[in-house]
Amino acid sequence: MGFLRTSCSFTRYQIIETVPPELWLQVPEKLKQYSFQDIDNTIQERSWGWTNFDDMLDTSWSLSPPEKGEYIAFSLRLETRRIPPAVVKKHFAIALHEEKTINHTIEKKVISKERKVEIYQHVKNRLFKHFLPIPAIFDVVWSTTTKALYFSSIHSKVNDLFTNLFTVTFELHLEPQTPYTLAQSILDESYIHNLDTLEPTRFV
Amino acid sequence: MSENYLGQTIDIILGQEFLTWLWFVSETKPMGFEDIKGQRFSVVMEQRVVVQGGEGESLETATVFGIFSPLKEVRRGLQTGKKVIRALLRIEKDELSWQVILKAEDFSFGTFRTPKVSLDNDEPDATFLEKIYLIESCLQLIDVCYKKFLFVRLSSEWDKEKQNMALWILHDEDSLSSYK
Repeated sequence: MGFLRTSCSFTRYQIIETVPPELWLQVPEKLKQYSFQDIDNTIQERSWGWTNFDDMLDTSWSLSPPEKGEYIAFSLRLETRRIPPAVVKKHFAIALHEEKTINHTIEKKVISKERKVEIYQHVKNRLFKHFLPIPAIFDVVWSTTTKALYFSSIHSKVNDLFTNLFTVTFELHLEPQTPYTLAQSILDESYIHNLDTLEPTRFV
Repeated sequence: MSENYLGQTIDIILGQEFLTWLWFVSETKPMGFEDIKGQRFSVVMEQRVVVQGGEGESLETATVFGIFSPLKEVRRGLQTGKKVIRALLRIEKDELSWQVILKAEDFSFGTFRTPKVSLDNDEPDATFLEKIYLIESCLQLIDVCYKKFLFVRLSSEWDKEKQNMALWILHDEDSLSSYK
């Protein structure tokens, strides 16, 4: 999914605020502060954070710095444990069956909705131990001379996760360059008013 | 981007009309664009085009994919009022060629291919910098096309352009020369 592959998919963003000049020096530290934390030996479902553009395992930027010419380049590493739904369904059914057996001995007939949710979560946590998280890497390229930033994903959930983490890390907000926002950045004030009242054209 | 946001309707109108207009210009004026330095470049829509029209339950989508396809099905789609919602663009300037699938609604870039980058550079970041340079060069060309569209779309020229586009949509390829 990275920019260096033969083909890649990406979304273009613009930083809304003016970047304070001192921020550029703080970028490496801020990236480390919100770097990816490994969850291989936990039962955590998901983890995400920044990592080195050149090596997804380098979360301390010991191999290379994020600065590349006039750009800052780093990656978002996202790891997710995925249990096949059929496996969850089976073990949830087993756990419910066990609960019913226990309830029968204490003459309790119904399992409450809250208890079912609790059992379901317990089953998932137990299963998480058996599934390693699946890694995914998305590149970020940030121009220090323009307000442009490129993120190598076009999936809304991943993009939302990225923009939120970016804002938390750098205290800056990103705006995707859609037809409307791109037009706003290209056009003069007099034209921008016309955009808001635009009606669709019927060609035929 | 999250679904249903402020400005989404304008995004859809601008994006779909831009791609539909781009197809029209690419066929009627094949070298009709100039970059910011005045150098000519071409945009071709080929191989993969998706058109969509209607609303709600009557929403219809037509997709055509084929390496040498004349895209007849999607052309018919335009004749029934559909607009381009996604297209594979080939952009050529000098000896360089890029390919990208542009989505009308959000201008996201799918399977973006740049000209080949040399991988045996001695400088550690040379490959990266060359790749980003090529990506940004193509984005500048797309922006030039979009800017040209916006100035026509938001001016009195649009009525004339709309008529020409209607003629192009309703006629077959053999008649294209009459709009050049």
